[in-house]
Amino acid sequence: LLLLKASNSLSLSLQAKMSRPLQARRLEGIDKNIWVEFVKLASTYSTVNLGQGFPDFPPPDFLKEAFMKALSRENHMLHQYTRAFGHPPLVKILAQFFGKLLGQDLDPMTNVMVTVGAYQALFCCFQAFVDEGDEVIIIEPFFDCYESMVKMAGGTPVFVPLKLKAPKDGKLMSSADWQLDPAELASKFSKQTKAIVLNSPNNPLGKVFSRGEMELIADLCVKHDVLCFSDEVYEWLVYDGKEHIRIASLQGMWDRTVTIGSAGKTFSATGWKVGWTLGPNHLLKHLHTVHQNSVYHCATVAQEAVAQGFQRELELYGKPDSYFIQLPKLLQQKRDWLVQSLDAVGMKPIVPEGTYFLVADISEFKSDVPDVPNSDEPYDSRFAKWMVKNKGLAAIPLSAFYCGAHKNNYSHFIRFCFAKEEATLKAANDVLQKWKREKTSP
Amino acid sequence: VEFTKVAADPSIVNLGQGLPDISPPSYVKEELSKAAVVDRLNQYTRGFGHPSLVKALSQVYERICGKKIDPLTDILVTVGAYGSLFSTIQALIEEGDEVIIIEPFYDCYEPMVKMAGAKPVFIPLRYENHGNSASSADWVLDPAELANKFNSKTKAIILNTPHNPIGKVFTREELQVIADLCIKHDTLCISDEVYEWLVYKGNKHIKIATLPGMWERTITIGSAGKTYSVTGWKLGWSIGPQHLIKHLQVVHQNTLYTCPTPLQEALAQAFWIDYKRMDDPECYFYSLSRELEGKRDRMAQLLREVGLKPVIPDGGYFMIVDVSTLNVDLSGLDEKQPYDYKFVKWMITSKKLSAIPLSAFCGPETKRQFEKYIRFCFIKKDSTLDAAEVILKNWNEQPA
Repeated sequence: LLLLKASNSLSLSLQAKMSRPLQARRLEGIDKNIWVEFVKLASTYSTVNLGQGFPDFPPPDFLKEAFMKALSRENHMLHQYTRAFGHPPLVKILAQFFGKLLGQDLDPMTNVMVTVGAYQALFCCFQAFVDEGDEVIIIEPFFDCYESMVKMAGGTPVFVPLKLKAPKDGKLMSSADWQLDPAELASKFSKQTKAIVLNSPNNPLGKVFSRGEMELIADLCVKHDVLCFSDEVYEWLVYDGKEHIRIASLQGMWDRTVTIGSAGKTFSATGWKVGWTLGPNHLLKHLHTVHQNSVYHCATVAQEAVAQGFQRELELYGKPDSYFIQLPKLLQQKRDWLVQSLDAVGMKPIVPEGTYFLVADISEFKSDVPDVPNSDEPYDSRFAKWMVKNKGLAAIPLSAFYCGAHKNNYSHFIRFCFAKEEATLKAANDVLQKWKREKTSP
Repeated sequence: VEFTKVAADPSIVNLGQGLPDISPPSYVKEELSKAAVVDRLNQYTRGFGHPSLVKALSQVYERICGKKIDPLTDILVTVGAYGSLFSTIQALIEEGDEVIIIEPFYDCYEPMVKMAGAKPVFIPLRYENHGNSASSADWVLDPAELANKFNSKTKAIILNTPHNPIGKVFTREELQVIADLCIKHDTLCISDEVYEWLVYKGNKHIKIATLPGMWERTITIGSAGKTYSVTGWKLGWSIGPQHLIKHLQVVHQNTLYTCPTPLQEALAQAFWIDYKRMDDPECYFYSLSRELEGKRDRMAQLLREVGLKPVIPDGGYFMIVDVSTLNVDLSGLDEKQPYDYKFVKWMITSKKLSAIPLSAFCGPETKRQFEKYIRFCFIKKDSTLDAAEVILKNWNEQPA
C-alpha cells in the first residue's frame, strides 16, 4: 500500500508540475459528448441498436464496386495526396450535380470544398465565421455538435425552439407539428447575430421545413445581414412526396449561405467520412483557410469512389433506378414499420417527414423508471440508459439535442434510428412486444 | 498550396511536394480491398480510433518505447499527422502562450500556432562546417541560444525528428538539451516523428518521450502516409499520457469526430503484419529506409555532378542544396521575392524540374539565412529519378 501511495504521489507530482492551466480555454464546456457515452453503452449492452445514426445495411453495390475499381487501377497514385480542397473528379461532379439543383453555375474549384464528413464542414464554418462576441442562432432540438462548435469558436449560441402543436384527436403526431413561432424567431436576431444554423431535414425530429418556413428564415437573414449554415445531409431522405427545399436557392440567400452535404448519408457509407460545402467563393475562401490549417487534405480513394457514385446518379436522376429514389422508398417502409411497432405498444411516435430518425413519447413506460427528484440527469437520459441495460434496446434521449438549460423541456422522448435491416426492426418489435406483455401481465 | 498547383503539370519532373510516386507495399493495398467488402467497415467506428488500429499501434509503440501504452486513453487517431498537430495545438495552446519552433520548419507549425492565438518563437538550426561534405548533422542548435528562448510564457516546443526539410536526426545528446529545458521550464514537447522509420545507416531515431521526465509532457505524432507510403490515406496518430491525450480527444470530438473506417482497419492489419516481423530485416519499417538510402545517394551524386554541394540527410526523404553557387541570372524576376523562390520558378520554367524553396520553411527574420537553399524530395520511382538525371546532366549545356 505504501508503494502504491508513493507511486501515486510521484505521478501526481509529475502531473501537478504543469502548474498553470494545461488545456486551452476553448475546451471549456465542450468536453462532454453524448455519443462517446451512448455509443459505449450500446456496444456493451445492446442487442438491438437503434441508437447512433448509421445504417446497418451496406452501401449500394455500385458504390462498393467504385471503391474496388479505384483500388484495382494500375495507377497507385490514388494512395497519395490529392488536391487539398477536393479531388478534381469529385468537385467537378458535385458542381455539375448541385449546380442544377441550386440554379447556380458552380465552379468546381471555387464553389465546392470537400471535407472529412459533414462534421468537418460544420467545423470549418464555425471557425471561419464565428468570433468572440458573435451570436449564432440554433433551432432546438439540434444535432448536438452545433452548440459545442459555436462555443469552441468563442461565439454565443442563441436557441429558439420548435414547439409541438398538439395534433388532432386520434391522429399520430407528425414532425410537421413541430413549428417555430415567427415572432419568437424574429426576436432572436440581434446586432450580434452572425449566423443561423438550419438543419432540414432535421435530426432528431425528421422535420422537413416547408417553403413558407424557409422563406421566413431567409427574410430574417437578409434583413439582418446574417449568414446561413445549411446542414442538408439528409436531403434525399424525404417521404410522402414532400419536397426538400435548398435555402440557398431562395431569393437573396445564395451569397450568404454555405450548404453542407454528406456522402455518408447520401450513399449509406458513414464510415467513409466524405462531406462537402457549396457556396459563393467569397465565403468558401475562408473555409479553405481553416481547412488548409487543420486537415489540409481528405483521403483520396473514397473521394474517387464517391465521384463515381455521383456520376451514376447524375445519369439516372429522376429515374426509378436512381439510388436517391430507391433509398427514401426503402426507408419510408422502414419508417412505417417502426411507427406501427411503437404505436402498438403505447410508445407514441412522431411520424418524421424526413431523415432516418423517429422520436417517440415514452410516457406510458414511465413506471419502469421511477423519477428521481432533484436529479441532475434528465429523465429521458436515465430512461434510455435503463432501457439499453435492461431491454437491450438502444436509443438516444431527446434531451441530448437540447442545450443545458432546456434539457428538461421535453423529458419523455427518445430518438430511434430506423435505417436498419428488416431483421433488426423485427427484433426491436419483439423487444417492445415482450416489454408490453411484461407490463400488462400481473 | 502555391507550389503544388505549379507542379501539377505532367511535363515537369516533380521533386517538390513530399509525396511518394513509388507504390505502397502490395499487402497494404490488399488489406484495403479486404476491408472495403466488409459491410460494417463502411460505417462509423469508434471516434478516437478504430479499436483494432489503436490496439496495433499500442503494441508497436510499446515495443519501441519499452513502456505500457493504453490503446484507449493514450492514443488518438487523426486525419494525418497534420490533424494530430492541429488537435494538439488546439487542445493545449492558447492566447498568451509562446511556442518555440525550430527553423527551418514544416510550414504548418507557424499558422497553426497563430490560429490558436499564441506567439511563435523561432530558433534556427545553424550550419557548423565540419569539413568537406555537408551532412544534416552539421546543422545544430546553439544550446545557449535555445535556452534564451524559454521563458515563463513558453507552453511548448515543437520538435521534428527526423527533420523536414534538412533531414537531421537529432542525437540523444541534442534531445537531452531540449528535454532538460522542457523540464526546467515546465514546458510541453510536441514531437513530430512522421519520418521515424526513415533513418539511414549510422543513425538511430530516438523518441524524446522515452527520456526521463519526458513521457508526462510529450505528445508524439506519427503518420501512416509516411510509414507506408500512403499519403492519400490521411491517417496519423498522437501518442502520450492520458492527462494530455484526453484534451486532444475533446478537440477531435468537436472537429471531425471520427476518421474513415476501412482505411483504419486496413492500416491495423498492415501494422500487425509488420509488428510480427519487427525482428526481421524484411519488415517494411526497415526495408523502406534501405530502398530510400539508395535513392538518396543517387540524388546526391546527380547534384554533385552539376557542381552543387547537397546536404546529405541522415533521415527523411528530402535533401537540401545551396543553389547560389550556380550563379544563375535571376535579375528578370520579381526583386521582392526571396532568392530561392525566384530560383525555383526559373528552374520549373526553363529546366522543367521542380523543388521547394527553403524560405517557405522559415519565419520572417530568417528568410535571408536560408534563401540560397532549395529542397528536393527523393521518394520517387526510378523513372522519375532517371528524368531528373537527364535534366541535371544537361544542366550546363542548355541555354537559360
